[in-house]
Amino acid sequence: MHDIAGVLVNSVISAALYATMAYGLAVIYGVMRIINLAHAGLMMLGAYATFSLFTRFGLDPFLSLLVVGPLFFLFGVVLYRLVVSRLPRSGATPSMESLLLLFGVWLVLQNLAYFIWTGDTQSILTAYTMKSVAVLGVRVGVPSLFVFAGSVLSLVFLNVVLKATYLGKAIRAVTQNRDAALLAGVDADSISAVAFGLGTAFAGVAGGMLSTLYAFTPDFGRSFLLKAFCIIVLGGMESVTGVAAGALVLAFLENGLSAWTTLPTSFQDAVSFTLLFVTLVAFPQGLPGLFARLRTAFR
Amino acid sequence: MQMPEPILRTKGLKKRFGGLLALSDVNFSVAEGEIYGVIGPNGAGKTTLFSCLVGSLSPTSGSILFRGREIAGLPNYAVVKRGLVRTHQIVRPFRDMTVEANVSIGAHFGAGKRRGADARRRVSDILERTGLGARSRSLAMTLPIGDLKRLEIARALATEPAVLCLDEVMGGLNPSEIVAAMSLIRAIRDSGLTVLMIEHHVHAVAGVTDRMLVLNFGEMIAEGVPRDVLRHPEVVAAYLGDDAGAA
Amino acid sequence: MRRLSLAAGASLAVFTLAAPLFLERGTLNDVWSLAFAVILASAWNILGGFAGQVSLGYSAFLGIGAYTTVLLSLKGMDPFLSLPIGALLAALFSLVIGLPAFRLRGPYFTIATIGVGEAVRVCASSVSFTGGSSGLRMPAGSFDFTRNYEAMVVLAILTVAVAALVKRSAFGQALAAIKQDIDAAEALGVNSTRFKLGAHALSAAVVALAGSLYAINFQYIAPGSVFDFRLSLSIVLMPIVGGVGTIAGPVLGALVFSTLQVKLLSIPALRDSYLFIYGALLIVVMLFEPKGILGLLRRVFTRRLRRFYADA
Repeated sequence: MHDIAGVLVNSVISAALYATMAYGLAVIYGVMRIINLAHAGLMMLGAYATFSLFTRFGLDPFLSLLVVGPLFFLFGVVLYRLVVSRLPRSGATPSMESLLLLFGVWLVLQNLAYFIWTGDTQSILTAYTMKSVAVLGVRVGVPSLFVFAGSVLSLVFLNVVLKATYLGKAIRAVTQNRDAALLAGVDADSISAVAFGLGTAFAGVAGGMLSTLYAFTPDFGRSFLLKAFCIIVLGGMESVTGVAAGALVLAFLENGLSAWTTLPTSFQDAVSFTLLFVTLVAFPQGLPGLFARLRTAFR
Repeated sequence: MQMPEPILRTKGLKKRFGGLLALSDVNFSVAEGEIYGVIGPNGAGKTTLFSCLVGSLSPTSGSILFRGREIAGLPNYAVVKRGLVRTHQIVRPFRDMTVEANVSIGAHFGAGKRRGADARRRVSDILERTGLGARSRSLAMTLPIGDLKRLEIARALATEPAVLCLDEVMGGLNPSEIVAAMSLIRAIRDSGLTVLMIEHHVHAVAGVTDRMLVLNFGEMIAEGVPRDVLRHPEVVAAYLGDDAGAA
Repeated sequence: MRRLSLAAGASLAVFTLAAPLFLERGTLNDVWSLAFAVILASAWNILGGFAGQVSLGYSAFLGIGAYTTVLLSLKGMDPFLSLPIGALLAALFSLVIGLPAFRLRGPYFTIATIGVGEAVRVCASSVSFTGGSSGLRMPAGSFDFTRNYEAMVVLAILTVAVAALVKRSAFGQALAAIKQDIDAAEALGVNSTRFKLGAHALSAAVVALAGSLYAINFQYIAPGSVFDFRLSLSIVLMPIVGGVGTIAGPVLGALVFSTLQVKLLSIPALRDSYLFIYGALLIVVMLFEPKGILGLLRRVFTRRLRRFYADA
C-alpha cells in the first residue's frame, strides 16, 4: 500500500515537470511542424543560466525562473529570426532540413556551454536541497515540491495565455488547422516567432528546474529530450491536457518499474526509448487517437 | 449466351472515415474491354472509390473482385502487380527524375516486371504512344502540365495493367486537348486494356464511355449507358447548379 | 564524364593500395581513418541519401561488428573469419528495427532511430558479457598494420563501387522513387518497405564490416567509443555535408571530416570545438546548400558554364 502511494506521488510530481518540458517541444511542433532538436540544448542552457544566477548573485533557483523565462523567450524569438525563419518552408510536413538545422544549433549550444562553464559536472545546492517533507505518507524532497509548484504554475500560466490572449488563440488555431488560420488573417510569421519564443522559454524554465534536482554537464538534455518526444507522441500536441496525460503515463511507467522491478536505473532511459518506439509504431496518433478510435469502435 | 466474368466487380463496398460515410453500398461491375465512366458532383466519393479499388485505402467493408479474385484490403503495390493501376487527379511525378526514369519505375515494378533492355524497349514504346518521345531525357520538373498528365498516364501504362483507372485526366484541358485525350483513351482500350475514368466533364466522358456510374454523397444513384444515365432525374438534380456539368 | 571519373577513381584506388610502399606510418594511419570514414559515409548514404531515410542510430551496427569480432576472437576464432558473422548479425538487427520503424515517415523515423541507438548503447554498457562499460580487448595475436590497412582500403573501394552499382540499378531507381514520393512509388508497384529494409540491411552489414576492421586495428573497444551517439552523428554529417544522395558526396564529406579531425586534434585551442564546427556546418549546409559541397560545386560550375556560353 505504501508502495502505491509512493509511486503515485512521485509520478504526479515527475509528470508535472515532464509536462513543462514536453510543452516547449509541442508548441513549436504544433505551430510550425518543426521538430526542435535544439530543445535539449535549450534545457541545458536553462540549467546553466539558473546555475550562474545562483552562483554569481545568490539568486534562489526558483526565483530566477522569473528571469530565465522571459530571457529565454527573447532568445527564442532571436533564434527564430536569425536561423529558423530562413529555412525554405515545406508546409504541412515536418522537413528533414529543419530537423538537421536545429540539430546543428544544439551542437553549437553544447560547445558554447563547454566554453563558458567547462565540462565539469555542476549542481545547485541550496539550503533546502537535502530537506524532505512527508506528503501523503511519502517522503518527498523539498526541491521536488518546488519543482512541482513551478511546473503547475507554468502550465496554468500557459493555459491562461492560450485561452485568453489573441496570440494564444492564434497559436491554437494554427496548430489545429494552419490553412484556415492563415485565411482568417493570422500572421504566420509573428505567430511562429512567438511560438518559438514560448517553446524556448519553457525549455529554459524546465531546464532551470531540472538543475535543482540533477547534476548536469553540457551533454545534459538528451535523455530528457527523448522523454519529451515520447510524451508528445503519446499525448498528442494539440492541448496542454494531452501533454499532461502523456507525461503522467511516462512518469507512472518509470516510477512503477523502478519501484516494482529490479531493473537498474541505467535502464530507465531505455524505458522511455522503448515506450517512444512502441508508441510511434503501434499508435502514431498517440492516446488521443487511440481514444478517438475506441470511441468510434463502440458506436 | 453465358455472360463473361466481369474483369472488375464490387459488392457492398463501404468506406467510413470516423463519422463520415464516404462510400456506402457501392455495387458495380466492369466488363473486359469496356470504357467505364464514374461521375458525380464534388465530394461524391469518386476518388475514394478509386483509392479503395487500388489499395491505397482499405475499405471498411465489402468486396472487390479483380478477375474473380478478392483484392479488397491488399496494399497498393500488390494490386498494381496484379494488373490494376490508377493515375492521380493531382499529378505526382518524380520531379528530380527524367521522364524516361519515371516511366521505368512502372515498367520495372508493375505487373510487367521488365528488366534491362526489355524494359527500355517497353519504356520508349510507351513514350512514343503517349507523345512524350521527344522529352524522354527531360527532368520531370521542367514539363508543362499537359505533358505531366501524359507522363502520369505513361507511368501507369508501363506497369502493363489489365485495368487502368484514370482520375480526372481531362481536368484543366482546353477543348482540342480534350479531343486528343479522348482518342488516346480509345487507343488504350483498343490495345487491349479496360479503362475506368473519373471525369468532371460529363459530356466529354459521355462521348467516350460505354457505360457510366453516377455517385452522389457516396451512394450510387444511377448506372448504365450514358444516354440513359444523363437523362435520369436524380442525376440531373444532383448536377443542377454545378458548372462543370453544364459545360 | 563518367569515363573520366571512373579513370580517376581507379587510379586513386591503385595509388591508395600501393601506398604502404612509399608513405610513412603516420600518413598511412590517416589514410586508414579516411578509408574508414568513406565506408561509413557511403554505406549510410545508401539508405539515407538514395532512399531519403535518415537514421541517427548507425553506431549500433558499427558496435555489433566490432563486438562480434572481439568476442569471437576471444573464443579463438580468426578475427577475419568473424567479419561475415558480424555483418550478418548487423543485417538481422537492422531488420528487427526496420520492420516496425519503417512504418514511420521522415523525421519520426529519425527520432525512432535516435532512441534505438541510445537503447543499444545503454544495454551494451550494462550487460556483463560485453565487458560492461569498460570494454573489451582483442586477444594478443599477430598485429599486422599493412594487412589491416589493405583490408580497410579494399573495403572502402568495394563500398563505393557497390554504392555506384546500386544507384544505377533498378533497386537504386526504386530507392530514388521512394525518396521523392513514397505513395506515388507504391502506386506503381514498388513495395517500399521491402526496398527500405534491403537498403538498411546492406548498409548495416557494410558498417559492421568496418566496425570489425576497426576492432582488429585498434585492439580495444568500449561502448563509449563504438556505440557513441557522436559517432552516429558524424556518420550522418559526412554525406550531408559532402552531398547526400550522390556517389562522390560521401567521399568528399569523409575527406573534409578526416582532415578536420586531424587538424583539430593538432591545434589544442580548437580541440574542443568540434561540436561547434559540426553544428555550424550543419546549419550552414541546411540553410544555404542542402545538397552539400557537391551541390554547391555544381551550382557554381553550371553558372560559370552558362556565363561562358552567353559571352561566347
